[in-house]
Amino acid sequence: MTAGAPPRSLGRSFLLSLPMLALTAFLLSGGRLPADLPHRAALALTYAAFNACFFLMLRTGKTDRWRAALYISYALLFILSFVSHLVEVRGTMLLSDETAYSGGTPFCHIVIPMTLIPAALTKTIIFPGTMTGTYAAIAAMFVIWIGASLALGRGWCSWGCFFGGLDDGFSRVLGRPVLKGPPGHWVDLPFAILLLVVIWSAASLSPAYCEWLCPFKAVTEFVPVRDWRTLAQAASFLSLFVAFVIVLPLLMKRRAQCALLCPFGAFQSAANWVDPFAVRVDANACVKCRLCVQRCPTFSLTDESLAQGRALRTCLKCGKCVDACPKGAVHFHVKGTGPEAGRETARLLFIYPAFLFLATMAGGTCMDAIAKLIRLVSTGRLF
Amino acid sequence: MARLKTLAGYAWAALAVPVVLATFLGQEPLSRALARATGWTISPRYSGGELARTVDHGGYRTHLRRAVFDGLLGERRRGFVQVEWEPVAALPAVVEEDVEVPGRGRFRISLDTRTGKAELRDASPEVLGLSVVTPFKGGWMVRVELKKPS
Repeated sequence: MTAGAPPRSLGRSFLLSLPMLALTAFLLSGGRLPADLPHRAALALTYAAFNACFFLMLRTGKTDRWRAALYISYALLFILSFVSHLVEVRGTMLLSDETAYSGGTPFCHIVIPMTLIPAALTKTIIFPGTMTGTYAAIAAMFVIWIGASLALGRGWCSWGCFFGGLDDGFSRVLGRPVLKGPPGHWVDLPFAILLLVVIWSAASLSPAYCEWLCPFKAVTEFVPVRDWRTLAQAASFLSLFVAFVIVLPLLMKRRAQCALLCPFGAFQSAANWVDPFAVRVDANACVKCRLCVQRCPTFSLTDESLAQGRALRTCLKCGKCVDACPKGAVHFHVKGTGPEAGRETARLLFIYPAFLFLATMAGGTCMDAIAKLIRLVSTGRLF
Repeated sequence: MARLKTLAGYAWAALAVPVVLATFLGQEPLSRALARATGWTISPRYSGGELARTVDHGGYRTHLRRAVFDGLLGERRRGFVQVEWEPVAALPAVVEEDVEVPGRGRFRISLDTRTGKAELRDASPEVLGLSVVTPFKGGWMVRVELKKPS
């Protein structure tokens, strides 16, 4: 389906949705119905919402519009689910010494690049978590990261990351950007931060980004303020969150945290070498309107990249540029195939694994948060 | 050649769904296999290091871990030793322990198990002080900072 093409028929859209209906039914339920009513209702709501969005992706030919609705909801529900889990288990979202030294800190994908050099040289992971068998165990997150990299490359950042929906959401609030994008070389900042935190972490044998720079600590867990050091850490987390997750996305209409700060995003750009999908631009169809350049949330389309017919290596494969292009010149592409290859076939081949990844990654979290909300409304208690 | 590349591209793309399914459905066995294959463990800076010895005091036990001076390539000048007491229900109001870390230093530590207040005494010059005192896995844990003997 190219731009301006009529929507896919209801019947054909439904037929193409059938595999996703079956797979998500199994993956979201784990093969059995939850025992209690709030969880059953949460399962039904999550299943319906995800499959409605997938159906609409097929019917309308738009990718980002429906992805974003789920992805932003996922980020909000993740915070509710994660923080309530911490409060339920620990009584607080503060990270105590007891929790850290007992290996009870949930591991997140952003730590991965910082752990690799110490892991290679010392065979140890510099994180106060647990390797296997617990909530957000380290090896489990590595497995998810490897799977995401092989299937989607940096598409992880638009279809899997539980934080990215926050700045994605804020970047859509205003109708027009108040700030035009940063000057060119600012887009290299995440690579500089990546280099800095990798070296810093290897030298200190501690995850430097988590200790000092992660904006999402402000809405997940952090060390209680008890001296100047912890006060500086808390101030850093909070100010980076406000600047990169709220204010800059609002003003620039771009995913500022993902484009200008996140070292994992920079690291994950390399995974765009190994997955089978890419975003390409058909130079013959392109009318140089630059809508895609203006809409790209991570500055991954530039005049130079348009001239080369491709998005930059930092592309998140969110589909925003594909949706925006009035001529259907920007499209998903299967690597290795020629210009004559079917664009809608390539898009379908991409959105099945990408959507399945999002549904599976987000489904459990969304169900947990929705069940807690239902319980809150019906009993006045979250858990 | 172009046809082969096209076929390979589509085959690779078609494999993405099985890869995603394997990632989530096989997460537990794959995680265990990854941990086993790499041999990765938690850094001793967080885990406290391997257990060196356990002293049984009758009602409660003291676990002494090895001194951790681990750096990226060699040893650091400063490290720590972790001492643990458990179970909490059997601990006296104040535990007293003489700790000898072979080749690294010695000290006597007392810990008030009601308040978490700890104190070092009779410490050798290599002992720098207490860095962590916290409830820990159904007991108490302290970390004592050490420097390499000069």
